[in-house]
Formats: sequence, structure tokens, C-alpha cells
Amino acid sequence: MPQAKITPNGAVAFALMLIGATMATGKHGLSIVAVLGIAFATLEVRAGTVTALKRSLVLVLPLAAFMLLVWVVIVGRAPADIAAGSVGSRDTALLYVALICTRLFLVVFLIQLIVACFANSTPLRFIGALRVPMTVKRLLMFTLSLVETFRHAIDRAYTALIACGLISRRRSVRNFVNGWVLVQTVWLTAITIVLGRLRDKWPIEDTLGLLDHALRPTARSLSCRDLVWLPIAVVATIAAVAAR
Amino acid sequence: MYRRELITGPNFSGRSRALRTLLREPDFALRSFFVGPYAEAALSGLSSTLSDEIAIYRDEDATASRPVFWPVDFAALADRKPQTLSGGEQILLALHCFSQSKYRAIAIDTALEQLDGKNRALALDYLGGSREPEFNVALIDNRIDALPSWSRREQRAEGSAYAGDLSALTGELVPHRAGAIVIHNLHFGYRRGRTIFQGANATLEPGVAHRLQGPNGAGKTTLLKILVGVLSPASGRILLNGVRYEPARSGNRAIALAAQNPDHQWCGATLREDISRRRSALAGRAAAPLPSDERIVSLSRALGFPSLDLHLYELPLAARKRLSWLWPFSGALPWIMLDEPTIGQDRETRLKLADAIRRLCSLGYGIIVVTHDDDFAAEISHRTLAIEAMQIRTS
Amino acid sequence: MLTTPRLIAIALCAALNFSIGSIVYLIKLPIYLDSIGTILCAVLLYPDRRAAFICAWISGALSLLLSGLLINPFVPWFELTDVAIALFSAFVIATGAETFRARPIRPVAFTTTILLFGISLGVIAALVSAPIVVYLFGGVTGSGSAFVVAFFLKTGQQLLSAAILSGLTAEPIDKTLQVLVAALLFRATPNDFIVMLRTSYDLAAGKDNT
Repeated sequence: MPQAKITPNGAVAFALMLIGATMATGKHGLSIVAVLGIAFATLEVRAGTVTALKRSLVLVLPLAAFMLLVWVVIVGRAPADIAAGSVGSRDTALLYVALICTRLFLVVFLIQLIVACFANSTPLRFIGALRVPMTVKRLLMFTLSLVETFRHAIDRAYTALIACGLISRRRSVRNFVNGWVLVQTVWLTAITIVLGRLRDKWPIEDTLGLLDHALRPTARSLSCRDLVWLPIAVVATIAAVAAR
Repeated sequence: MYRRELITGPNFSGRSRALRTLLREPDFALRSFFVGPYAEAALSGLSSTLSDEIAIYRDEDATASRPVFWPVDFAALADRKPQTLSGGEQILLALHCFSQSKYRAIAIDTALEQLDGKNRALALDYLGGSREPEFNVALIDNRIDALPSWSRREQRAEGSAYAGDLSALTGELVPHRAGAIVIHNLHFGYRRGRTIFQGANATLEPGVAHRLQGPNGAGKTTLLKILVGVLSPASGRILLNGVRYEPARSGNRAIALAAQNPDHQWCGATLREDISRRRSALAGRAAAPLPSDERIVSLSRALGFPSLDLHLYELPLAARKRLSWLWPFSGALPWIMLDEPTIGQDRETRLKLADAIRRLCSLGYGIIVVTHDDDFAAEISHRTLAIEAMQIRTS
Repeated sequence: MLTTPRLIAIALCAALNFSIGSIVYLIKLPIYLDSIGTILCAVLLYPDRRAAFICAWISGALSLLLSGLLINPFVPWFELTDVAIALFSAFVIATGAETFRARPIRPVAFTTTILLFGISLGVIAALVSAPIVVYLFGGVTGSGSAFVVAFFLKTGQQLLSAAILSGLTAEPIDKTLQVLVAALLFRATPNDFIVMLRTSYDLAAGKDNT
């Protein structure tokens, strides 16, 4: 990874600080976070910002619609009004939902910006670059791989249970009754795969030794770009929290 | 001088144990690359992309100077998840990773049996066919008794916990007239523009074995999934006995499937649980009476398993593969699909399985077999359904 | 303490937590089960309670992180609930390991244990989650329990009490189901894997596959 670019360590630290600021501040502080997020998107992520924005909207818009339904349509007043025992109004409820959703959107957007920033990297390279204990790196790699193993196992178990008529592609009572069988089958498939690796492949090859070698960091923890962004993030966090 | 060792013998004679003993010999290798049976045992299990899988094994210092094994353009598939490749492609990826690694030895436990003819020949050639390999090789393969210039270690059967009588598999079956399956103008594609079938047609008659053929990744498993209702075709018709057959909508009531990897077909932790769930799923919906408890016990014994309460996932893999034939051979459903049934099975078992398939055909059952094993296919009189260029060609 | 098999168990249980959502979607169940892996991890590592807690907690935290990144941005903030579930699972639920695995199953003991543990866990989860729901998200997260909160608010309850009541309505049922599923999965898990987790497993030993 070229040293001029922001590193995974810098990016994660940057995002964590701003996420913390987002959760701790009020509406004035959120605008500081938003401005810094946009600056980061423009200078570091560039074209990838569009993808990050789309994904963030896909995640947050349904939640926003849901919260509108509950607070504005059903309840009709904001929590502060409820606590004060006042009548309140749908307008205050709407403002309240807007604040929560903005906060949520910023958190999601910051995370998606980091993902987009390293879209051309692989999980191995990204995790390898992080300055965390090797056990943590191993665990992250195991988890990402096993999530894929589970997805694969779900697909296989789904095929098996449809083939023997226990579940169907459409919604049905049969699916509800046999849902447990799908879970059991997926678990046993995954365990069997993992057992095979633990018993055979990994000890014979010392595959985990190879993994540790591949995960060792090969560059410095922080680059020059990190040393620009991180102090800005610190200042912005302090300013955002102070502005609440 | 590099070693090439072939370990032969019948099932349950201790070949895998002998392989591991060999790998611990000091002059074989300090560490060996291992490709176990089935795709899941071929890859590291530590990566979520192809490029990471290769990166984990790649020898950056290129200390082991040997040619790279490159039967598939893996660079074009760099962002794919390894688990989404077909079984054969995963085996090829494993060999590719080995060829780029530092390992001075490789051990393969029946994995090559999953490859189609062309890729299998390429793999065997790489491992020590036409040129002297610069690494040690230890191989178990049920379809190979001997190889020129390879040492042979023969394991002998010393009584087996799984000895059965495969010739009793079809003994109690009665004639069953399955309906013909007619596939008309089938269109199917996965998302992201990967078309598998475009206007494919085929007729499958009962009483005849049909061999489904095609290279790794051609669409054989896709067709099986369409026929049991996991996938729904984009358009086209499938008829069963002259009546429209839509298993994706109505559920599968016609085809008993034995999956390539037996662990991909269980619906219980024990055989008793598995069979009981299958029977209850079909209760009241099957065209013929379901197999009785006695029939199931008898079949289980024929396959070498006296108890229905053994934990399926604690059995050896070759044993699980045999047990995967139990439901298809029980006669519960008129059509039987066997996906690579001979993987991990010794010659005697393969011959008896061929015999059982011939008997099922004579009783009027419908049989579809997916197999790369030409010798096994030659034992059964069959029609070939070749999947190529998004069509199904019958011969 | 964190041997390779245990790291694998943590990752497996985190993946199980995360993936159950996919299963629920495939078979169109109306509930969301998100801590089965956490509970199962603790039971697998019994009787080493400390290891059980730490491994269960890490698996829960990992799955919250993954879910937050990919599915629901609310969930990572419920880390405190994850700690509470891991603690209760390691020090209470795991004691039922022998009952869960008894063959043949003892129906009365099994059912009683599940109900007792599930309801207790549900109450704890509701009490721990309610302040998070109220103070971080004003009482409404992305789950269906928000309607229950809204109902209680309409009846004149304050926010915190509405969140607690909503939790007490839904959580015992959800957590009882999760304890049941975890117990059944533990029951079905091959013995080889459990032995690996509970002992210092020798990776060099093998088993004949053919």
C-alpha cells in the first residue's frame, strides 16, 4: 500500500473518533462531523463516495421510514414532550426523528466511506495492515471466512431440505415448523467442515503459520496522510462535543 | 530424487491413516500441502476472496522454482469467494495455490476424482506424468491402481466396521413405472448475467439410466436443482408423466437426490432422524407407499450400518457417502438422481453400485447420474445428456 | 485460553449469530434470533466458566460488529446487552449442559430448564437494553418492538418504563426460543468438536476418513 494514502489504522481511528462525536453531540455538533466527513469523502474516497452514499441510504432510509411511522404517525409527539407531560406535536416528533436519523446516517456513512476507501484492497491486506494483536487478526479472518462458509452451508442445506420436501421456496407453515431443521443442518455442515480443517489440513500444512506470515504488517502503522487527518479529527471531535 | 507414492486398497483399510504416516516420514517433507476429499477440504478456509486464498500460499521469494498450475484463469476470478466456485474449480484452485507455494510435497486424498476428464488429466500430468516433478507426491485415488514410475503402497482390509452387502440394496424393491420427464425450451440464468440454459430441451425416459455430462461449472448441478425445485426456471416447461411439473411451487415429490458431498443432503443428526423427517415430509403426498421401518433397517445393514442411531457427522466420509444412497434406493420416489456417486468408493463398491442401478432401471425407475468416471459409466447402459453451450444434447 | 479450536468456536458462533438472520429471511419467520451463537459458545466451553464467558462475549461482539456494518446500524450499541447475555450464559445456562445432551432426552427436565433459563435471560436482556434504547435512540430502534413501545407510550407510560415493558413483553419469548435452539444445536454437535474445545487438542492426531 503506497505510504501517501491513508492507512487502515488511520482510517479506523478517524472513523471511530467521528462516530463517537456523532453519538455524543447535538445538532450543531453534527454539522461539524458532516463537514469533516464530506471533506474526507472528497479528498480520500472520491468516486467511491457515490457507492458509500447509496449503501448508506439503502441501510438508513427503511429505518427512517419506520421511525417516522412510529413517532410521527402513531405516537404523535417527541420523547421530551412525553417526559415533560406536555401535549407535544407531530412537528416536534418529526424534528426528533430527523435528528436521530441524521445521527444514524452519519455513522453509517462514515463506515461506508472507510469501506469504499479500501475497496481495492482485500480483507487479508486490510486486516494485515491493522496494528492489533495477531490473535485479533486471526479471529477477524476466521470470522469473515466462516461467514462465507455459513452462507455456503445455508445454500446447501436449503437445497437439501427442499429436495426432500421439508421446506419450500415460498412462505408456508411447513417452513415455520421445519425452520429448526435448517438451522441444525447448517450448523452441522459448518462444524464438519471446520473439524476437517482442524484435524487434517491445518496441522499437515501448518496453514495457520502461513496465515500469520501473510498477516504481518509490511508498512508503517501511520502514513503522512494519517498524520494530517487524525489531528483534524481530534479537533473536530472536541468542537462537536463542546457544541452540544 | 523426488518421491511419488500411490496408496491403494479398499475402503476402510486405513489408506488415509497410511497417508498421514507417510507425511510424517522425515525424508518425505517437513510440511506438505494437503488436498482432502471434497471441495471444502481442499482450500484453507481462511480467506473470503480468491486473491486472498492465493496470497496466503504464495511464496514471495519463489524458492520452489516450478511451473505454475493454471488450468483456469483465476486472475479473472480474483474477487470471487472461494466457496462460490464449483467443487472441481475449488480443487483446481488448491492445486494452483500449491504450485505457487513453498511446499516441497503435496498429499491428495481422493480429491482428483471430482475433476472432469480434461482437468483430471492436466492435474495428473502436473503431479508427475510427462515430466519429473520437483516435489514429493502422495496420492489416494480409487480410480487408479498403478501409475508408471510411482511407488505403490497397498493397504489391506482387515475386517471393517462398515462391511455390508451392497448386492442386497435393491432386493426388496418392486417394479415401479416412473413417468417420463420432458424438458421443453428451458431458460435459466443466475443474477449478474450468467446464463446457464437457453432454450434447452431433453426427454428422460424411465427404465433407462441417463448420464449428465459437462465440464466443471457447466450447469449440471443447476439442472439438478431445477428438477428438485430449489431453482425456478425463467421460462420453459417441465412435464412429468405428461403433466406440468413445477417443483419450485408444489414441492419435490418425484426425485430422490444423493448429493455429491453427502453432508449436503442430510436433514438430521442421525439416520433415524433424517429418514423420519423425509417420510413425514412426503406423508400423504407421495404417489407410492413410503418405505417401512423394516425396509430402512434392511437397507442400512446392506450399506454396512447396523444402527440407525449413529451420529452421521461422526462417521468416516466414505461411510457417509454410502449412507447417502439409502433414501434414493429405498424406492420412496420414482426418480433417482445420483451426483458423483462413486467419489471415494473403491472398485468393488463401484461395481456393486452399477449393478444396483441396472436393477433399478429394470424395475422401471428413472435414473440420472452425474459422473466424471467413464469406467463406471461404461458399466451401465445409459443415454448421455451433455450440457454444452447452454443446451442439453442427448446421445 | 484462546486455543485455535476456541478461536474457531468464537468465529463459528459469531457467524451463526450473523447468519441466522439470513435463515430467518429464507424461511420467512416473523422473529429475529441474534444471540443463539453467544449462548451456544458458552455451553460448548462449560465447565470452564471464565473461558465460556470470554469466548461467548467475543463471539457476540463480533456478530454485533458485522451486523452493524452490513445490516442494522443500531445493533453494535447493544454491546452491554451482549455482555449480560454472555455472563448469564456462561454462569447459569451452561450448567444445563448435561441436561441438554442427555440421551435419551429427559422431557420434563429439558423443558423446565429451557423455560427457566430463557425467561430469566429475557428479563435480564430487557432490563439491560431498555436504558440503551431510551438514552441512545429515544426509545425506538429498527425492530418490531418499537410498536410495543409506542403502544405503552400511548397508554401514558414514560419512555423508560415503556421500553422496559416492551422488552419484558418480547424478550422472554425471543430468548426462550434462542436458549431452546442453542440447546438443541449443542445436543446435535459432534463429540469430537466438544472434546477439542474442552481439552488441549493435539492437532497432529488424525482420523481415518476413507
